[in-house]
Amino acid sequence: MQVADRNREARTTVVLAVACLVLQLALAPNLALGNGRANFALVFAACVALTKGGQRAVISGFVAGLVFDLSTTGPVGLMAFCLTVASYLMGLGARDRMTGDLASSATTFAVAALGVSLVYHLAMLLVGQADSLIDVIVFRTAPTALLTFVAFLPFAYYFSRVRPSGGSGLGGRSGRLSGKGL
Amino acid sequence: MPLSTRRRGAAPTIGSNKGSSGVRALVVCAVLSVALFTLSCQTGETGPLGAVRGAFQTVTTPVRYLGATITAPLQGLGNVFANLTADQETLSELRDENERLRTENAQLTESAQSATRLQELLDLQDTYSLQSSAARIISGSTDSWSSTVTLDKGTSSGLTAGMPVMSAAGVIGQIVSCGPTSSTVRLLSDESSSISCMVQSSRAQGMLTGSASGEVRLTLVSSSQEVAVGDVVVTSGLGGVFPKGLPVGEVTSVESNPGDVYLDIVVELYAHPETSEEVLVITSLTEGQQATAEDIAEADAQERSESQSGADGTEGTDGEQDGEGTDASQTTDEGQE
Repeated sequence: MQVADRNREARTTVVLAVACLVLQLALAPNLALGNGRANFALVFAACVALTKGGQRAVISGFVAGLVFDLSTTGPVGLMAFCLTVASYLMGLGARDRMTGDLASSATTFAVAALGVSLVYHLAMLLVGQADSLIDVIVFRTAPTALLTFVAFLPFAYYFSRVRPSGGSGLGGRSGRLSGKGL
Repeated sequence: MPLSTRRRGAAPTIGSNKGSSGVRALVVCAVLSVALFTLSCQTGETGPLGAVRGAFQTVTTPVRYLGATITAPLQGLGNVFANLTADQETLSELRDENERLRTENAQLTESAQSATRLQELLDLQDTYSLQSSAARIISGSTDSWSSTVTLDKGTSSGLTAGMPVMSAAGVIGQIVSCGPTSSTVRLLSDESSSISCMVQSSRAQGMLTGSASGEVRLTLVSSSQEVAVGDVVVTSGLGGVFPKGLPVGEVTSVESNPGDVYLDIVVELYAHPETSEEVLVITSLTEGQQATAEDIAEADAQERSESQSGADGTEGTDGEQDGEGTDASQTTDEGQE
């Protein structure tokens, strides 16, 4: 019999959110590749979308994007919109897509990271923050997507390999009651 | 035995989303995002969203402190790898001394030339007696879009948007937004940065602008001006935001193509925010630190000279001249307009 521990799920989501927030504020500014910086808001939104999907994923994406917007100097609402749509699209498939399928979730995330980064920076170009499309793609989009993808890999490994096998990890408790699901 | 009646994926659980695909949430959140984006673009940093952002940055300041503290040893490690051939302690001392001497040299040269040219118009101590407030860099940019740093002081310490910021080596940028306890500084290397500067030896006026690649260029300097590699670039004081004569950087490349109206000048900045911890925020300028009428007249004369040479020599670039040429009296640093 498989019983979902909703408290555990909520606890895992909160711990994941706090971890990504701290990483976004403390690590991302000091870890740059060219002008690119890792987007841990997207990492959080993707983890929720690929494990939960549905309404919770969309709201998580929106909130994560809003927090990202508030922590930067760009316009508020842009990343929120990008992550809202990205979370919805990533959450359309089956639930628990990350469990035991690291390659698939990594591929999905790579596409999402590239898409979100491209849309975000193109929007910044449209609001007059840059003059050159080359700059946007070469110096902003590509490094950001690459760093974000690298930042996602440890999370993907945890959710696909460690957590399903019963690791205590983010939730702080053994996953024996519910081997799957966030 | 699954307890949930809804099958979704491989492992249905009690805690599933009750069948919601999230379409309604998508629509609501997307509309909300677009509304926030529109409001943000319309009101900028002065609106309610600016206040919310200030509050958020105030609350998250300790986390930024934490990140700066944790990554400090890693940055030192990077220096070790970059300078394996030299003793780190010796290299650090020499670098510090070199920066100090270069700054002093630029300041003294600037002071001497000002005294000679303007015949005791400016007092040396008044020229560099900056009314300033010390602050500490606690974080870099959190996004890939802007080159900024965050300071640990804000409006509660008397700082406001538009104030210039410099380190011991030279100017690093200008405050663009202020919270109660933190401020965001746009660096000179930022693509949106643009300040009035001049070449110290030839007094050629121009605009120092950043770029996406991090390269800094001195633009709008007429090809008739004499600029050489190694020349020191200082702030011109035009615009009234930056004090006149602050060291900014050194010319590393000058290119003048036949037919071009302006020189292509690349500048290497003296100040490197990634290695700076303490900075000075210049809170106000004395009268002696601002550009004089002679400076403005000189800039106007250069502008007229450029226009004349452009009209005489390059008929095909008239449109460009009209578009790019700026009256020196209108050339201002950011935040002053």
